[in-house]
This record gives sequence, structure tokens and C-alpha cells, in this order.
Amino acid sequence: MQAVVLRGNQDGYQLVLDQAASFKEIQEALRELLDNLAADSNATSQISFDVLSNRRLLTAEQNKQLEQIFSDYDHFQIHKVIPDVITIKDAIHLKEQDNVHLATQTIRNGQTLELKGDVLYLGLINEGGRLLTTGNIYVLGSVFGILQAGYPSGEDKVVIGDLQHAQQVRIGEQISIVEADQPVEGSQTVAYVNDLHVLEYGQLSDLKTINPRIYHQMGG
Amino acid sequence: MGKSIVITSGKGGVGKTTSSANIGTALALMGKRVCLVDLDIGLRNLDVILGLDNRIIFDIVDVVEGRAKLAQALVKDKRFDDQLYLLPAAQNTDKTALTEDQAKAIVDELKEEFDYVLIDCPAGIEQGFLNAVAGADAAIIVTTPEISAVRDADRVVGLLEKNPLKEESHLIINRIRGHMMADGEAMDVDEITHHLGLPLLGIVLDDDEVIATSNRGEPIVLESENPAGRCYRDIARRLEGETVPLMKIQQPKTGLWSKITHWFSRG
Repeated sequence: MQAVVLRGNQDGYQLVLDQAASFKEIQEALRELLDNLAADSNATSQISFDVLSNRRLLTAEQNKQLEQIFSDYDHFQIHKVIPDVITIKDAIHLKEQDNVHLATQTIRNGQTLELKGDVLYLGLINEGGRLLTTGNIYVLGSVFGILQAGYPSGEDKVVIGDLQHAQQVRIGEQISIVEADQPVEGSQTVAYVNDLHVLEYGQLSDLKTINPRIYHQMGG
Repeated sequence: MGKSIVITSGKGGVGKTTSSANIGTALALMGKRVCLVDLDIGLRNLDVILGLDNRIIFDIVDVVEGRAKLAQALVKDKRFDDQLYLLPAAQNTDKTALTEDQAKAIVDELKEEFDYVLIDCPAGIEQGFLNAVAGADAAIIVTTPEISAVRDADRVVGLLEKNPLKEESHLIINRIRGHMMADGEAMDVDEITHHLGLPLLGIVLDDDEVIATSNRGEPIVLESENPAGRCYRDIARRLEGETVPLMKIQQPKTGLWSKITHWFSRG
């Protein structure tokens, strides 16, 4: 098998890099292939290629070298490099972002629990305790402290649950002092940031209009 | 090998020192050998409450700095035949005169000789608190039915949970005023216990005699009839593993009028 294979389909042109070949072989094969291509075609418009790197992750340096090769040809450029794999670090990050975390521990006065992604909270937050997360917060436990969704700046997040006894609800950079803003009683309150960047309270039944994306994500 | 228990609260003035003195004395009355360690360096008063203040020769800082042996610094309470001792705090320095390792070493040494080593913790969560907790096997959290005291207790429980002691912490609710709890003016016992999520070791009723006796240097447990004294004796018995029911906070009214309303409410 050649180190670089050219394929074309309805999405455009793709260059498939052989997984077993060394990067040096790939560079040579690529140059050869582009040479032939440039000689064959008399294209005047730009042609972009997707580079499929299979189970190979290119380093920044290798990416630069590929770009370098393409820059030698007037009409060819890289659209993007698409590997089939990601690093474990990225995978964990993705998983964290996507997962609904279950949290049950008690958060006491002066303590902060910081999480990533969405949180289903079943524990007890006492006055002065803080729960922070980058995603949404769904509360089934008792909250007498501070909830912060979309930390530090995601205003598209929501906090759902019984928020009546909380001290503060924060979403992104918006803050609501619960005692002053008086959300309605009940476990189906939705706190969200409206178009005017003001934190507001609504009902779970209105989630579809409040935040359609989260509504659909929940399978509504 | 004895057991070391730190008595702490976060907030000041809720009765840590009074509780230390009374629980210690109650345990001594039960025949246990007890050593009270005052770690409120710079603001010592456990000695005053026990009436031992004019017998102090050396203190804990003298021991740490090698000016005295541990045995020399212990003050014996002569009311109890070789049962109750005090290791006094220093008065002329501050909490930073001691490190956690030094405090732990002293407590460990005392544990060899005594059944109970009760550590009186200073208010706050700084070095003094860290020293007091360092050598403890268990903690007793003292609070009063005031929101501010309960908040601080919550903070302290959080800190203890982060670096757990050998045994679970227990709660004492001090200075309970029955009529205020009945009126809903103060948090009640169940509310506080549930809020802090700790097992309740005991409650102590508010009583003027507690102040009066400690002014005389005689712990209230020595008054056999006093309800607050009984509360402390109950706590000591629970520490020894006995099952003692909680004292009733307020006697039910038995006047004519309440009998009539009771009769009507049944119908």
C-alpha cells in the first residue's frame, strides 16, 4: 500500500495517510503525488484536501510540515486534518463535559465543590457552601447555599430544582439573590439567563421555550 | 491506652471550656483518670473554671521548650483522688508557640497514662485549632441554638471531614432555653442535629448556676440536683457507652387551663 492515497467522493478530495508508513515516507509520497497532480491538472481554481490520518495523531510540528509541502503548490491546500482517534486526555475531557455527574456529598459552610459538566445533586448544601460546575445543575437534594451553573461564563446553562431556600443562584456571570428575587415555591423551578442577560426564574413546563437546546438534549 | 477528644466549636463563647471542665469532672467522678489539656494559649481559663489557677507552676509551652517535664506541669485537682489533672496553657505567648507535631506528641504521651485526654480548643480555625485537632482521636462539637454558632459549627465539621479523625465527631447543643425553642424563636434540637448531620452526644440546659459555679471554680456537675449538671453527667455516661435518654427540655404544663384545652383537643 502506498503511504498516501488520493480519494475523491461527493465531499471532495481526501488524502488517506497509511498508518504503517513513517512520517518521512508520507512526506515523500505526498510530494510525489502532488507533483503528479499538478502536472496532470491544469486547474485554475483552488482545490482543498481533507487529510485522513487514520489512527495517527499529528503533532503541531508535523502539521506544519504538511502545510509547508502544500504551500509549494499554488492551487492545493489542506482543508483539515481528520484523525480517527483522540488522546485519552481529550476523551476524558469530552466525557466530563457530556456526562451528568451524580453528587451526593454534603457541602458545608466555607466549602466549595467544583465539578465539570452537568450535575445531578442529591446532597445537602448548607448555608455558605458552594456548588460550581461548567454545565447545568439539576437539584434533587436540599440547598441552603450557593449554586453556580455555567461557571465561569456559560450563560446558556440552567439550574433546575427547588431553589427556594438557596442563598444565591448564579449562572455564568449573572447572580440572583434568592431572598430578594423570590422564585415560586416548588421543585420545578428553572433558573436561566434571558435575552437581556438577566437571571430569571421560570417553570419546568416552559423549558421548551426557555432553552430549547437543553429541552431537546433531555429527550423532550 | 486512653482516648483523646478535642472539644471545639469554631465560634467563641458557646461553652467549650465549660463543657471541657464539666465533662472531665464528670468522667473523674465516674472513676476514670482524666487529663484536661488547655490549648487556648494566651487566653487560658480552663484553670479558672476548675479553680486551679493559683496552683499553676509550669505550662504546656514550658514542656515543649524543655523547661519542665510533662509530669511537672500537670496540675492535680485535689477534690478527686488522683483522677483529674490539668495541663495548663501558657499565658505569656500565643497560639503559634506550639506546632501540630508538638501538640500531638504531648497528647500521645498523656494518652499512655490517662483514660481520657480532653483537649480544650480555642475559638477560630487557625493554628490553635490545628494544634488542638492534631492529637485528637475524636471531636465533640459544641454549639448553641443560635444561627451564628451553628454556621461556625458547620464550618468546623467541614474542616474535620476533610482530615477525618479516627472516630466520628459528636454534637453537644449547649445553653438550651426551653421556652424559646417551644415558641419557635430558636432552632430546636432536631433541626440543629439534622442540619449538622452529626450524632447528638447530649444537650445542656441553660442555667444561671453554670456561671455562678464556674465563678467559684467549681464545675456544675458537682451540684447533684442541678439540671445542667445532670446533662453533663449524662454526656459523660454516653461517652462511656451507656444508653441514656435525652433530658426533657420542658415539663408539660399541668395547670387547670391546659387540662381543659387538652380535654377539648382530644374531642
